Amino acid sequence: MPRLIRWKDGRAEAAEDPFTAVADDEVVPPGDVIISLTRFQVEGEHLLGQGRQVGVRVEPDEAVEALAYDLPRIAVVALAFPKFRDGRAFSAARILRERLNYAGEVRAVGDVLLEQARFMVRCGFDAFEAADGATPRQWAAVATRFHHVYQRAADGREPAFAERVRA
Amino acid sequence: MVYAYDRIDERMLADRAAEFREQCGRRLAGEITEDQFKPIRLMNGLYLQLHAYMLRIAIPYGTLDGAKLRALAHVARTYDRGYGHFTTRTNLQLHWIKLRDAPDILDELAKVGLHAIQTSGNCIRNLTADPHAGATADEVDDPRIWAEAIRQWSTFHPEFSFLPRKFKIAVTAASQDRAAIRVYDIGLRLHRDEDGALAFEVLVGGGLGRTPYLGPTIRERLPVKHLLSYLQAILRVYNRHGRRDNLWKARIKVLVASLGAEEFGRQVDEEWEASDKAAADLPDTELARIRAAFAPRGFDTLPRVSAAFETLEADDRAFARFARHNVKPHKMAGYAIVDVSLKAPGETPGDCSADQMDLIAGLAERYSLDEVRVAYEQNLILPHVRLDDVPDVWRALAEADLATPNIGLISDIIACPGLDYCALANARAIPIAQDIARKFADPELAETIGELKIKISGCINACGHHHVGHIGILGVDKKGEEYYQLTLGGSGEDDASIGQILGPALPADKVTGAVDDLVAVYLRERQGSERFLDTYRRAGLAPFKEAVYAEAH
Amino acid sequence: MKALTANRLDDGEVVFWNAGAWREAFVEAEIFEGEDAAEAAEARAKGQITLLVEPYLIDVAPVDGGLAPVSYRERLRALGPTNKLDHGKQAAGGGGIEVLAHARGSARSTGRVNLIKRK
Ligand code: SF4
Repeated sequence: MPRLIRWKDGRAEAAEDPFTAVADDEVVPPGDVIISLTRFQVEGEHLLGQGRQVGVRVEPDEAVEALAYDLPRIAVVALAFPKFRDGRAFSAARILRERLNYAGEVRAVGDVLLEQARFMVRCGFDAFEAADGATPRQWAAVATRFHHVYQRAADGREPAFAERVRA
Repeated sequence: MVYAYDRIDERMLADRAAEFREQCGRRLAGEITEDQFKPIRLMNGLYLQLHAYMLRIAIPYGTLDGAKLRALAHVARTYDRGYGHFTTRTNLQLHWIKLRDAPDILDELAKVGLHAIQTSGNCIRNLTADPHAGATADEVDDPRIWAEAIRQWSTFHPEFSFLPRKFKIAVTAASQDRAAIRVYDIGLRLHRDEDGALAFEVLVGGGLGRTPYLGPTIRERLPVKHLLSYLQAILRVYNRHGRRDNLWKARIKVLVASLGAEEFGRQVDEEWEASDKAAADLPDTELARIRAAFAPRGFDTLPRVSAAFETLEADDRAFARFARHNVKPHKMAGYAIVDVSLKAPGETPGDCSADQMDLIAGLAERYSLDEVRVAYEQNLILPHVRLDDVPDVWRALAEADLATPNIGLISDIIACPGLDYCALANARAIPIAQDIARKFADPELAETIGELKIKISGCINACGHHHVGHIGILGVDKKGEEYYQLTLGGSGEDDASIGQILGPALPADKVTGAVDDLVAVYLRERQGSERFLDTYRRAGLAPFKEAVYAEAH
Repeated sequence: MKALTANRLDDGEVVFWNAGAWREAFVEAEIFEGEDAAEAAEARAKGQITLLVEPYLIDVAPVDGGLAPVSYRERLRALGPTNKLDHGKQAAGGGGIEVLAHARGSARSTGRVNLIKRK
């Protein structure tokens, strides 16, 4: 089971992952699962009817908007980073949070590296399968290192221009 | 007159410098590998080139003041070999940097509000603006106000730091394009609409490199208050749909060209309409704060003409020539914009020694309301000089070899660092520039030839803008030898166009001769006041081609 | 014939392998006649991650007065930039530098030379 870093209220902590990631060619085991978007579109209804938690893995070339109507029933949206350089999931996360108002877990999976922590947190990710073995403590240090931000994003941080008015 | 960093901006730089110091420490201690470290150092503008590390320092929208330029001089002297290289992106590159010094350099730079943030990597790069901003009469607003707004918005943007490819934005507010906005990922032209309101014309998908494009307009009139939400929409469409499978097709120009400008614009509009514009756009208070920082200050009411200037102009031919080519009209009566040439024939285009930087900083403080600009043509500008002071400024510049009267002329050559420094190069660019400039060093001759823009790149990445040179020169690798492909008829300005290939590539020792042949054809064929470019456009490629390749047969 | 080169991690200086040590001047580079020894040295260098960036082998050939890297790019690395002769290794002058500076025949990089040769 991969170690999971959870981000909550400005803090990072290690967490057990109750979900099993299931590949498309695997039989769905009992318990909470994360399945692909294509599989969800076929089997989602059935699996949700079994009273378990279902998460959906979205690849960068898939549009998160496809999940719009199902989001209230989905426990986790896992956004994939096939390579750390592939930044499409940053947009997907913001759309989930800011446009589709998704309140469940948005998880970063794939080539998820410490150096991206602050961008991910800002875009609304709140769970991370760190590929480089980063610890929650390291994760928090990177995510909170900068005292200010210049733009609004999904984390609700006050941007510089708003701070300046207040000051 | 220039935006000064406040407590928040300063903290941002300090946090960044501290982060980079820690990252360097981890690399030097072997806690992270080069593979892991490379993207980190690149995001901070630190490249490993042929002979050493190179640090690319951002000069946001090309605006400097005396203190900043002195700090650059200090860093160049202390940590490098006493000089720096100004690039076509109005950045400063230091070519002899040690990794172990890089954190200290960032600390030094941060003290004066300079940094190397986003000078590399697939993010929104340091932006460029009209170098005459705030000084020219032909602008509707100071474009740096908007450039500064974009600088802040794009700095450490959480969503757009891992784009398919690098992303460059240029802004102008003048009727004459001095920022080459048509060859940028996004070009912004500020103008007034029929009702007199400020609006942006938004061009997207221009760019040079392997497949050059001139950016089409996707919106004629974007209300200025929506600038950032609209940029967010463009970047989001690009981030989601730009190609990531092929490095050479990953720039936004390919996405725009493949969808068509109209369809691309439609997708941007759709995204824009769906977004929370108010959350992305800057509030009026912040715009007002930035605007106030750029408000004109310190100008005196002066007579339109200066006796000191005119007397010297009449008496001294060298000064008269400098006045013709390096002195431009200013919006304020009695002031001028003065070009500082970093193109003394035989020198490396864009190179500036630490001593020269200090001198220019001093001149700026004393004579130019403490402002200096960097032009993408790799020259510097003193934007606010009293006409009365131009003679003194000229003398001081001339003493430091900075007053070559060649702005826009044949020896004002753009050249990238090429194979003398750059790890990506096919061929050298600098020696070619030096050789051509020496050949046409006679100012009389250069003036007879008139406006002629030669631009040289050492490889197809086109940092030297060769596609938009009146004469473009591209270094290619022909069976392991340095060869040069010539193009004619490009322009990066209002009459923008991409140059046409003249013929087979030439060996290094034939390039200057070929340029000489091209000039001879022009001088023979030109009609009236035609520039080289005009003659080429009228007469076509044939006579030029014939002249260059005739001997070969 | 081959030599092993890299850039030093902490200052970026171009260096050449000689019997386990790294030298700044090309004349001091160890010249490998056989592939095996060259590759063994390269493998060892690749493990020195706190010392080096990207070690790789380059082709070397006899020229007037000595040996020089075959590729033009590598000769530039061993000399310094041609626009500033007082910068880089060439500033030190001396016989080894003279040999490199006068070497002719060129190819951009060893990698390409190999490609061309294989064709
Ligand atoms: S054009 Fe090529 S050679 Fe010149 S600086 Fe850019 S990448 Fe280097």
